[in-house]
Amino acid sequence: MVKFSSATCLGCGCACDDITVTVRENRIVGAARACAMGAAWFGDGLAPARVTVDGGDASLAEALSAAARLLNHATRPLVFLAPDVSMEAQRIAVAVADTCRASLDNVSSATVARSILAGQEIGRATATLGEVRNRADILLFWDVDPARYPRFAERYAPDPIGLYLADGRRVISVGVGGAAWSPADVTVRISPDDEVVTLTALAALLTDPGCVQGDGNAWAHARMLSDILLSGRYVVAVADAEPGSGAPDSSGPTGRADALWRLSHALNHRTRGAVVTLRAGGNRTGAEAAMTSAAGYPMAVDYSQGVPRYRPHDGTAGALLASGIVDAALVVGDARLVDHGVVADLANVPCVVLGPAASGGPLARSRVVIDTARAGVHEDGTALRMDDVPLPLRALVTGPPPARDLLTTLAALVATAPRRSVGAGERS
Amino acid sequence: MSEPLRIVGGTVYDPAHGIDGEVRDICIDAGKVVADVSTSARRIDARGLVVMPGGVDIHSHVAGSSVNAARRLLPEEHAADPAPAPSLADGEPWPRSGAGGTVPTTFTTGYRYAGLGYTTVFDAAVAPLHARTSHAELDETPIVDAGFYVLAGNDAYLWQLIDRGERERARQYVAWLLGAAGGYALKVVNPGGVELWKRGLRDRVGLDDALGSTRVTARAILETLCAAADELRLPHATHIHCNDLGVAGNIATTLASMQALSGRRAHFTHVQFHAYASGPDGRRRSGARALVEHINAHDSITADVGQVMFGPATTLTADGAVEYLLYKSSGRKWVNSDIELETGCGIVPHAYREKQSVAALQWVVGLEIFLLAADPWRVVLSTDHPNGGSFLAYPELMRLLMDRTYRADCLKRVNPALLGGSALADGLGREYTLREIAIVTRAGPARILGLRDKGHLGVGADADVTIYTPNADWSAMFATPRYVVKGGTLVVEEGHLRRAPRGGRLHVRPDYDRAIEGPLREFFDRHATVAFDNYPVRTLPDRPVPTS
Repeated sequence: MVKFSSATCLGCGCACDDITVTVRENRIVGAARACAMGAAWFGDGLAPARVTVDGGDASLAEALSAAARLLNHATRPLVFLAPDVSMEAQRIAVAVADTCRASLDNVSSATVARSILAGQEIGRATATLGEVRNRADILLFWDVDPARYPRFAERYAPDPIGLYLADGRRVISVGVGGAAWSPADVTVRISPDDEVVTLTALAALLTDPGCVQGDGNAWAHARMLSDILLSGRYVVAVADAEPGSGAPDSSGPTGRADALWRLSHALNHRTRGAVVTLRAGGNRTGAEAAMTSAAGYPMAVDYSQGVPRYRPHDGTAGALLASGIVDAALVVGDARLVDHGVVADLANVPCVVLGPAASGGPLARSRVVIDTARAGVHEDGTALRMDDVPLPLRALVTGPPPARDLLTTLAALVATAPRRSVGAGERS
Repeated sequence: MSEPLRIVGGTVYDPAHGIDGEVRDICIDAGKVVADVSTSARRIDARGLVVMPGGVDIHSHVAGSSVNAARRLLPEEHAADPAPAPSLADGEPWPRSGAGGTVPTTFTTGYRYAGLGYTTVFDAAVAPLHARTSHAELDETPIVDAGFYVLAGNDAYLWQLIDRGERERARQYVAWLLGAAGGYALKVVNPGGVELWKRGLRDRVGLDDALGSTRVTARAILETLCAAADELRLPHATHIHCNDLGVAGNIATTLASMQALSGRRAHFTHVQFHAYASGPDGRRRSGARALVEHINAHDSITADVGQVMFGPATTLTADGAVEYLLYKSSGRKWVNSDIELETGCGIVPHAYREKQSVAALQWVVGLEIFLLAADPWRVVLSTDHPNGGSFLAYPELMRLLMDRTYRADCLKRVNPALLGGSALADGLGREYTLREIAIVTRAGPARILGLRDKGHLGVGADADVTIYTPNADWSAMFATPRYVVKGGTLVVEEGHLRRAPRGGRLHVRPDYDRAIEGPLREFFDRHATVAFDNYPVRTLPDRPVPTS
């Protein structure tokens, strides 16, 4: 029996790294401190290790060759970063996309595109989760469902006694159209129709309490909230960036993401503060960061002209697949965690699926299917917590081949293949 | 490709060895400068060309979470400057495309530095919590040898040790911190000021102001970290971004900080931003002369200038309070990210314009510092990329230093509103020589950084060599080296980037007393959100630089 202390869980974006995993005979038999979601994410370590080409079993070499052929012969390939791969593997996948002049995207374009775009337009004031833990004397949970982030309260806030919080903290909970975070010192329920107006009014009041105000519930709520927030020294609003996860666009109503980042700025004129956005698991922010560092953009990159171009509106995986232009795709990661619409469209494209439990996932019938290790269970590496703090991932049990190694081989095959001649008309 | 090489007949500038424009051969084998190579070695005909060691950038922002946050914030810059993959020689790693602008992508950063003849680069501000990200980004920044400085001046645990008077333990702690992060040197940013900004206190921090405790002051932080760097025998002194960046009258703060560390090794960074007097109207004036007189008179002090260059820039610093003020005054987009227990981060895009009085003053102050400095070995070139401008503006800066006619023409175009009493406006005729340029761009930074094998061309030096074609326009000459050799590999040939070897990692791992780990682990368990065992970076690509 082997115990791994300080293992990192990617079950949600909290990325708790205090899990003690017990392994017996290459099976995970315990994940102490993990929540139910975390325990399910670690599982027992048992993972399929199939490799298929056109539905028949194949060797890794055959499958990778077939994958390279497919990508090299495509005119509009797509590389898609799905959850549960390490940043090391993500970076190699970005290289593959660059090399074969593919489009490149990740799950964020389907779930948080508006948040990303709003952040690029105006910026954002944010903080790492340890600042929330140690400094946030007022916490505003904005329509956060605690069941989606089971250990947030215990690890980050409000439960820990913060280094700078001898006097404790106040918790405000806003539920949009329903119940939200509890328990809280103050609970407010607002209607979904009022969400953006309330956020906007709140930002206006925090910036200038004497601003011209409107009537109605939204402004009344905003005035009440503003009075409380201005009594704090370090105010953190916690909001789910993906409140409707699974829907075609789950970033909330139009204007919500923009209003949240404006609120984050407004928290800094008369007090200090930040907005922290919660993300689901599987190293999603890692994919954004890996793309940004090499391509300059966190999603929806188009390499077809030999340079990365940003196409956040018409070049997301969802948009490209819906247009029918994609003639080959490489999916890296766990397809079960990808937006259903994207997966449905990928099923109609000649596809290479390289990821954990690929053979048991929704794209198991793809042209090339390669089961890989799951990062943090069978494969080591690095992941980003949802606040961009990097954490190590460890191989806890042996399993299918590491995604990083397979992608390295694939990248070499793609890079050494004869290049297609690219005509301007062909690819525009 | 690191084959024996003979660079024949170039005009060599190797100031570390007193070589000032002598015609000689440079021989290279196995990545090092050697005394001789066989007659069959490949030859580069450098007759009529200028030969210098590879450039060494002592202060830049190129790799890490904050840099990546800036990249993410600037899609419009990237769209305007797409960077196709270079056409590398056969057998090279597949080249990568990217994007430029003031904060280029990783691969593009490496290619462009090398294309400029720079072969060593340091990122000047990395939160140790984010060290893994910086290493990963340096891994994909080809060609240049690189490292980073570890932000320590607003570190919560260090402050606790200072508060308890445990200076010895503080030294052990920063030794651990450097090794844990895989950093090269200690960095202080606005000592006390970053933490106060996070606490919502916006007053200026005086050197002796109590920071929650009378024992914790900016002075104590500076003294503790500079003493630690000395006692740990770190190759580079503690790298200091003083309090009051950008503020009228901050020259007093800067001089007081220098005096506080009197006799200790200390590197003061982007001093241009810290050299403003205050005029009778309360507006900024040049404080360059007072600054330079102090530096000239104190051998233990080194500095880089942090020149601003007219054009686009991105301000990007751990000094979050400064960025808030810039956001408020400019109305441009703003990122702030507070980083638990360690530091802050702020980002605001910016542009320096000739007709803007403050930008004009900043431009003039930087040039004054260069032109008044008596010892180029101790006052070296930087733009604090991308804060004062991109590293791609270095050649233009060199021309400003070398060509007084050109400089005078440029001066005529700038807004004179704040230039009263400036030495430059009064006429500074100095022109940097090629020897002095070689000092401020390679030999000097290498010496200040304690890089024994860099910044010179003596036997045993790393074979990092840049070869330029002389040109009456110095800017054109320095922008387009004819050849660049990195670690013995010919990376630029006839002006084209042809090879892109992996760059090395420059880091230190000083010894420390393992007894500090117990209380430190306890601190982590109580206040950190990353497990103590998960905090240190475990594997790095190269061996640490010795610290003794």
